[in-house]
Amino acid sequence: MSAFKFERASSASSEADSSGSGEDHETEGADGDVTKLQAPKPKSEAKSPKYPQSPSKSFPKKKVRNPSTSTIDTINKSSRVYHTGLRVLYTAGRPPWYDTHGDLTEAFVIGVCGGSASGKTTVAKRIIEDLDVPWVSLLSMDSFYKVLGEKEHEAANKNNYNFDHPDAFDFELLNKTLKRLRSGKKVDVPVYNFVSHSRENVTKTIYGANVVIFEGIMSFVNKDLLELMDLKVFVDTDSDIRLARRMKRDITERGRELEGVLKQYNKYVKPAFEHYIAPTMTYADIIVPRGGDNKVAIDLIVRHVHSQLKKRGFSLRQSLANSGNNGQPPPSSLYVLESSPQVKGIHTFIRNKDTPRDEFIFYSKRLMRLLFEYAMNFLPHKKVRVETVQGVQYEGSRLDSKKIVGVSILRAGETMEQALCEVYKDITIGKILIQTNSITGEPELHYLRLPKDIKESHVMLMDATVATGAAAMMAIRVLLDHDVPEENIILLSMLMGDSGVHSIAYAFPKVKLVTTAVDKEVNDKFHIVPGIGNFGDRYFGTDYSSFKTEQVTAS
Amino acid sequence: MEPDLIQDSLKVDTVEDLDFGPKFKKIKSTENVRELQTVLRDKATSRSDFVFYADRLIRLVVEEGLNQLPYKDCEITTPTGCKYDGLVYEKGNCCVSIMRSGEAMEQGLRDCCRSIRIGKILVHSDEDTHDAKVVYSKLPPDIAYRKVLLMYPIMSTGNTVIKALHVLKENKVLEKNIILLNLFITPQAAKTVIAKFPDLTILTSEVHQVAPNHFGQKYFGTA
Repeated sequence: MSAFKFERASSASSEADSSGSGEDHETEGADGDVTKLQAPKPKSEAKSPKYPQSPSKSFPKKKVRNPSTSTIDTINKSSRVYHTGLRVLYTAGRPPWYDTHGDLTEAFVIGVCGGSASGKTTVAKRIIEDLDVPWVSLLSMDSFYKVLGEKEHEAANKNNYNFDHPDAFDFELLNKTLKRLRSGKKVDVPVYNFVSHSRENVTKTIYGANVVIFEGIMSFVNKDLLELMDLKVFVDTDSDIRLARRMKRDITERGRELEGVLKQYNKYVKPAFEHYIAPTMTYADIIVPRGGDNKVAIDLIVRHVHSQLKKRGFSLRQSLANSGNNGQPPPSSLYVLESSPQVKGIHTFIRNKDTPRDEFIFYSKRLMRLLFEYAMNFLPHKKVRVETVQGVQYEGSRLDSKKIVGVSILRAGETMEQALCEVYKDITIGKILIQTNSITGEPELHYLRLPKDIKESHVMLMDATVATGAAAMMAIRVLLDHDVPEENIILLSMLMGDSGVHSIAYAFPKVKLVTTAVDKEVNDKFHIVPGIGNFGDRYFGTDYSSFKTEQVTAS
Repeated sequence: MEPDLIQDSLKVDTVEDLDFGPKFKKIKSTENVRELQTVLRDKATSRSDFVFYADRLIRLVVEEGLNQLPYKDCEITTPTGCKYDGLVYEKGNCCVSIMRSGEAMEQGLRDCCRSIRIGKILVHSDEDTHDAKVVYSKLPPDIAYRKVLLMYPIMSTGNTVIKALHVLKENKVLEKNIILLNLFITPQAAKTVIAKFPDLTILTSEVHQVAPNHFGQKYFGTA
């Protein structure tokens, strides 16, 4: 088993296994909806302040969460549409988190602090539900307990280690993680094991989101962390209620003794609250009494976040399509396959609306092969001298790259994988599913799976056509968030639209764009003109016209 | 071997390249093509790698060879309802492969032209004297009216190809209708063939003093 195993955090794709187990060498995509941060499973030995297991009566109609974990999966795996009251939340697909220049837009970070069992998680969950924003990441402090040495580990086993103290947390890592998350990058969050008091070999991948909610008992203790939060919420619940909840949870759900619970409460939990947690209330922008049941307070928070998000909002695809680049010279990062008679002839076949599907597929494949042979030239080569079979030395050239990875943008990009395999033996292929939201017209990220060593690789990013460039930009952004250097990315496409070329080249000047032809225009349906129509539909035969043609030929 | 030889051969390579006239064509020597050639020449290359890279180079030569065939302009309508000025290939082509190493190039051609007619000529050449004679030939009956892609990957003396060209001429194929597809050629072979068949089009990937003569054996695994 690989050292890296990632909790699957996406509900967007059925292809992905939801267990995350048995997956070697792969980074699991965390895209699609509310990123679920799975806190360590409550163990009876755990001395830590745990999440309150929120009373599920507040969500009577919904499948809420697995009570044995603190996973926020209010937006559950089985359903992409989630009904909260009068609102409908579409949880599949992540809209752009960067602007037309390819720059990241910062996430809105909400910090939630409060004593143990005060209802922090419930408040966080309520905010997520009412926000109606499909991309929310939840980061919990529980993942950032320090790894304990042998002595401390022993003490912890005898109830003598204070988990309710700022020193118990790795604030440095926490800071780094939240900073990355805020800037829209993906993070690997450690999984804390409360039995061994160390970090598991696995990490969970969380992606930047429009809104990041960070919660924990000590979340306001560290000055640097406070600066990263755009909104600070303190959940102030009466200490009697908190104790009652804690006892109920620890005794009925974790099978612990009344005496032990009380001892721990008096020795650590209560003093910690008084010394470290309660004083941080002064940093809060909003104090929420009574926790998750306080609908008025949550409504106020949601309104505020909405107005803040609106300020950062934008419509990517439209502005991309409108960013006309008429008359501008082609960017220097664009490489177009020489239009030989064969290339032009193949284009004639695949662009013709009357070309039967078998010919369309055949000629597409030929063109892809030519495209990839051409693209190989843009990978680094080094001069070598080899000994030939004939006994003479020969000055030649070899590829000079540690690793090459193909990444296809589903669905149409997948058609190009075979051609890549034909020019590069045993290539690793990652996949990204980006689809256009039919209502907003925006591209949305639904699923991704990339090899874990992708940041050291040269990446051949494949999409059959690039019209406005919105999907390709999103895919490039994903790669950059995985720390792939921009200059290591080659975007390959059968056909590109002029505006898409300019938009991508402007946003990511170091990404090489390799294609077989560039068409001048993109129409109001974001199709390239004259173009080849919807490549995926024609290739896979999922369009209506191919249905008609086949019927005609059959009859 | 001695570094002298390399220097010499490089010089010859660049100088002689210019002398073969307009009917002699070479595919662009890109980094990618250079890599394919290097792998094929390298004695450390495994057989599976050899076949993989050979097939890639063959495909490139074949694609370029097809560019030499005639076509005419046409206009078509795209699915978006727009016009596109394209072109359409003309019919009346065929291929002849010289056995046995020429057969290695058939698949590459088949991958581009699914139903092209393929004739065969078996030329046996003596290992020592390089004396070649035709043992067998089977050609499309109407070959005289067709453009012919003649395929043979390695040419060190040109004797084999010359024999095959004689067979084609006996079958009334016009010299100007023949396009020879080749991977590696020596300057001597190029000179000899061009001297005898000046109207023949030759397309290769590399002109070099030393031809990788192990090609057929390694490709078919009979080494």
